[in-house]
Amino acid sequence: MSSHEADPRDAGRRDLEIRRLYRARPRSRFARWSGAALVLLVALAWSSSELRFGDYFSERRMANLERFLGELRPYPLQGKDFDLSVAASWAGEVLRGKGWAAAGVTLAMSVAAIVLAALGALALTLYAARTLASPEPYLPAPRPPSRARLWTWRAVVALSRALLIFVRSIPEYVWAFIFLAVLGPTAWPVVLALAVHNSGILGKLTAEVVENLDPEPLAALRGLGASRMQIAAAGLFPLILPRFLLYFFYRWETCVREATVLGMLGIVSLGYWIVDARARNHYDEMFFFVLIGAGIVLVGDLVSAVAREVIRRAA
Amino acid sequence: MAPEPGAVPGRRWSGHRGLVLVVIVAAGLWAGFELDLDPRDLLPGEGGWAIARELFAHALSPALDYEDEVPEGTRPLLLKALEAARLTVIFAAAAISLSVVFGVLLGFAASTAWWIGDPAGGHGAGTVARRSVRPLIYGVARVVITLMRSVHELIWAVLLLAAFGLSQLSAVIAIAIPYSGTLAKVFSEMLDEAPRDSALALRAAGASPAQVFLFGLLPRALPDMTAYAFYRFECALRSSAVLGFFGYPTLGYFIAASFENLHYGEVWTYLYTLFVLVALADWWSGALRRRLVG
Repeated sequence: MSSHEADPRDAGRRDLEIRRLYRARPRSRFARWSGAALVLLVALAWSSSELRFGDYFSERRMANLERFLGELRPYPLQGKDFDLSVAASWAGEVLRGKGWAAAGVTLAMSVAAIVLAALGALALTLYAARTLASPEPYLPAPRPPSRARLWTWRAVVALSRALLIFVRSIPEYVWAFIFLAVLGPTAWPVVLALAVHNSGILGKLTAEVVENLDPEPLAALRGLGASRMQIAAAGLFPLILPRFLLYFFYRWETCVREATVLGMLGIVSLGYWIVDARARNHYDEMFFFVLIGAGIVLVGDLVSAVAREVIRRAA
Repeated sequence: MAPEPGAVPGRRWSGHRGLVLVVIVAAGLWAGFELDLDPRDLLPGEGGWAIARELFAHALSPALDYEDEVPEGTRPLLLKALEAARLTVIFAAAAISLSVVFGVLLGFAASTAWWIGDPAGGHGAGTVARRSVRPLIYGVARVVITLMRSVHELIWAVLLLAAFGLSQLSAVIAIAIPYSGTLAKVFSEMLDEAPRDSALALRAAGASPAQVFLFGLLPRALPDMTAYAFYRFECALRSSAVLGFFGYPTLGYFIAASFENLHYGEVWTYLYTLFVLVALADWWSGALRRRLVG
């Protein structure tokens, strides 16, 4: 060590260099203001009168918590020693009565929704990606397009993007609530709600992928005289497929989570039985349905992870 | 097996990709039959049409004032919408601040990147103990993260409601539990995937494990982590609004109430308020991401 610091002038020069590098570090005023604004927001939130930690752990609430934890035990076992065979037969009964069917419905809702969302997203992407949705995609035209056509396409892109933002800003739960009132109690409201919200998210992500594509192969197709739809079918979709499938499975994981919950609106998925058991104060059943829901989510995450790995290796 | 002459590299795997597509289509058909999805049911009944017509008729004319008589002294509608928006933001901000704290702690525990801070060699009892305890920390953290993530925030809300009774704090905690899990999962992946060159250089220069992590590794992952936390704030706004359907006075509460009272103009007022909140957060996190991550 000491040999490095033998010459104090060296050390001084080093310090200067470090200081120069420190001053030259990348900085963004926007990022710093954003950080400050967020800290302020969080401080405001915690100092608001609505959020108080004080009474959260009051005696009354703790007593309530203790009673609640006791009632999570399967009913035939409450106040008795734990017996695995009794617990298993109780669980089997709940599963046969409601559990398996509700789990199947939940899973089916998520699958139907994400498939519809993918179709919606692909359709909207064609009009939201600026590179494709233009009067003359990928190659300059022999004659420049008329101003009217140029502005028409710009309006189409702006409208498609606004639609994508709007459908994804409204949460699935709100969509389902509205669809349920309009369509009545079939599985459609939940499926449509998930499909609409997720086509907004998938559509935005896919449009970005399309805009970042290497334009050369697509320009070649255009040069051969392909129409916009032909470019999409023969060049664009095959090129974006790996990325699209990755997003597809990511969003499917979310759909499985949401499908569990949307049953709370009255469609018989797991969420329905969760709020139903809560309304009847059968906390043991409620907790069991929550566990089944968590199990489905875990299975979904696992399937999605495997599928994404296959796609990633193929890409 | 030697590749056939002229075979396209990656050909074998693109066959698997086709298989994935076939499975997706088959799963979609199964789901349709399982749920009895009949396209004819997409046409609403008479009552449904009336609701749909009324709702769409008001899309471009959200209410600026109450559609019915209200008792004297009621706050103006727009003020009420602003108040609901304020509470939506407060719940989301409080929840995301909790989530970032727990997400960083859990994410650190669930990553393996900080293991490299340990100087190479060393066979003392302390080193051996440290090395055998690390996988344990990793495993426990992974299990905790998975459990937090596998239950949706609305179900956490129902559970907390049953366990503690109604409290505004329950809303914040309900959002914070799954969000902490998600942040921890993503943070741990970002730490593990961050470039390790500066960390290794610091270690070679004799820095302590804490220095290696804090000055070598963390700065490389921090921009991504910040951008992702901001994106989750946008999601938290939506979750916070939806908690209104469970009785918390956020935007969802007023959307449901106005809808049930057939005040469709007011429904749009609240929907547009939510839209503006989410769009603002979307713009903010997008702008920040461009500056941080590029």
